[in-house]
Amino acid sequence: MSERGLRIHQLRASAGGTQILKGIDLAVEAGHVHALMGPNGSGKSTLAFSLTGHPGFKVESGSVTLDGADLLAMPPDKRAKAGLFLSFQYPAAIPGVKVANFLFAARQALHPGDLPPAKFRALLLEKMDLLDMDPSFMGRYLNDGFSGGEKKRLEMLQLAMLAPKYAILDETDSGLDVDALRAVGESVNAMRASEAGKDTGFLIITHYPRILQYVKPDVVHIMIDGRIVKEGDAELAQRIEREGYDKIREETAQIA
Amino acid sequence: MPSATLDKALELRSGRERPGQFWKIDLDAIDFSSLKAAAPSDPQIAAPSKPGLIACGLETARRDHAEIFNRAFGSVTGTLNDKFAALSAALCNTGAFIYVPPDQAVDDPIEITYTAKNGALFPHTLVVVDRGARCTVIERIEGESSDTVCGIAEIVAAENASVTYAAEQNLPLESQAFFTRAAAPGKDASVTWCVAEIGAALSVSRIDVLVDQPGVDAHLNGFFFPRENQHVDMVSTIRHNVGESQSQTLIKSAATGRGQARYLGNIRIAPHAQGTEASLRDDALLLSPHAHIDSVPALEIGANDVKAFHGATIGALDESLIFYMESRGIEREAAEKMIALGFFEPVVERFPTAAMRDRLRAALEAKIA
Repeated sequence: MSERGLRIHQLRASAGGTQILKGIDLAVEAGHVHALMGPNGSGKSTLAFSLTGHPGFKVESGSVTLDGADLLAMPPDKRAKAGLFLSFQYPAAIPGVKVANFLFAARQALHPGDLPPAKFRALLLEKMDLLDMDPSFMGRYLNDGFSGGEKKRLEMLQLAMLAPKYAILDETDSGLDVDALRAVGESVNAMRASEAGKDTGFLIITHYPRILQYVKPDVVHIMIDGRIVKEGDAELAQRIEREGYDKIREETAQIA
Repeated sequence: MPSATLDKALELRSGRERPGQFWKIDLDAIDFSSLKAAAPSDPQIAAPSKPGLIACGLETARRDHAEIFNRAFGSVTGTLNDKFAALSAALCNTGAFIYVPPDQAVDDPIEITYTAKNGALFPHTLVVVDRGARCTVIERIEGESSDTVCGIAEIVAAENASVTYAAEQNLPLESQAFFTRAAAPGKDASVTWCVAEIGAALSVSRIDVLVDQPGVDAHLNGFFFPRENQHVDMVSTIRHNVGESQSQTLIKSAATGRGQARYLGNIRIAPHAQGTEASLRDDALLLSPHAHIDSVPALEIGANDVKAFHGATIGALDESLIFYMESRGIEREAAEKMIALGFFEPVVERFPTAAMRDRLRAALEAKIA
């Protein structure tokens, strides 16, 4: 068995004493797009936070490996250094820390010394242009006073600048207008078409298939009540669009 | 120096909060009478060359510019009935006088440096800015010895004048600093205080703006960051005695180690001061379990047609911010440092020059390390 990929095996995790993930099995392959869909409260964000090491979530059992490395044994910054990235649904606002300085610190942490400041700046401007972001963003405080759309664009900018091996996009599409959604989609596709991003594996968490019109998934996983109940191809997402989750919930309940 | 003046100053009460559960120093019990004062001297003064601009030591001012000097000297701080201002006035042994003539714009900062060595310093900086004139003054307080410094800074701004006064106290960690800083702006004048209390074992700081004329625009910015056993006691007061004026107060503080601090932010709006707009914002960050900050905004509003706002926060570093940074590969310690430095940035960026801001950032960084 190849060790490559973000491999989640029988993951159980809780928050505030309540078990939310009840044995997740899921593998994100390098270079592939996986969609994780499910109704609100099914545990999708808990999975994202458990994988990235959020202190508010407790992993009870199971294993996660990233290209063979034991992810759960690492503190959050080491997980990022191993190649994991999370686009937050609600990114933190950090007053006094400028976007450019933050991104430079993060890039330095993940890829030490690979970009001198002038080249970093040129790359940053290029990626910002792709996301329709004004260069003045660089001098603003991180997410401080940002609109919902600006925050999501900044998450996508970080994704592009940090070039992770595996990226989890936690409801990056929620609250976006059509233009912002298209910009996000184009940014992900541009990354996948680039040398630095062609092997990046994506786990796109969403409860609407909207974003999947812009970024085509190779595999769709359906999560209900802390378990992966169904997997399929892009057609499964279309089905959700037409029928909602109730039908799948009924089907899988019968199987269980 | 007439000893009667000194005796009177020694008898004055500080009016500060008494020692309590966390704060152990009794400011009224500090022994000033046995301090050895330094020989009289002038500070280092660097000023751009501008027609009519005067920047000199106190004795020169008294001798050569008697009329302007005598009218203004002590005219603001002398009215406060403040113990430490009275002590400084009684024992004054150094100082600077700045005068900007009408409509003169002095854009490059005037820099005054007081250096404590060989005895206690009692500096008095007097800044007189005439009608329609503007200037920026930077005051640096440093020490080659850990002697006490007890000083005054006084701003007299005429109609339509604009003054920025930035003070940076960075005395050795064993010394004591007492500062009274007060401004009296004229009609439609603008006054900005920027105060950084960095050094000294004990820093006692008072900042006042007396709004007795309409159209005043007052800004009061300050920060402090006690670490190890440092103690900081800061009181700021904006007194809106007439209306149609506005003020903004912004204070950022942090404490680490066994650092102790207390801040009292007063906004007083007199009953007839209609049309006043005043805001006060103070945020305090606790970086160690033994550090303590008491932060008290105190608004006293006597008029009904005013806009007054105050907001205060106190707490430890927000774990969700740390996690966000960690998730980008930044190590926890580096993340904490970036967030703490960022916390001060909104106030640091209000200080007047890039060189000063960089010095302040470096001083803050050294405290966190």
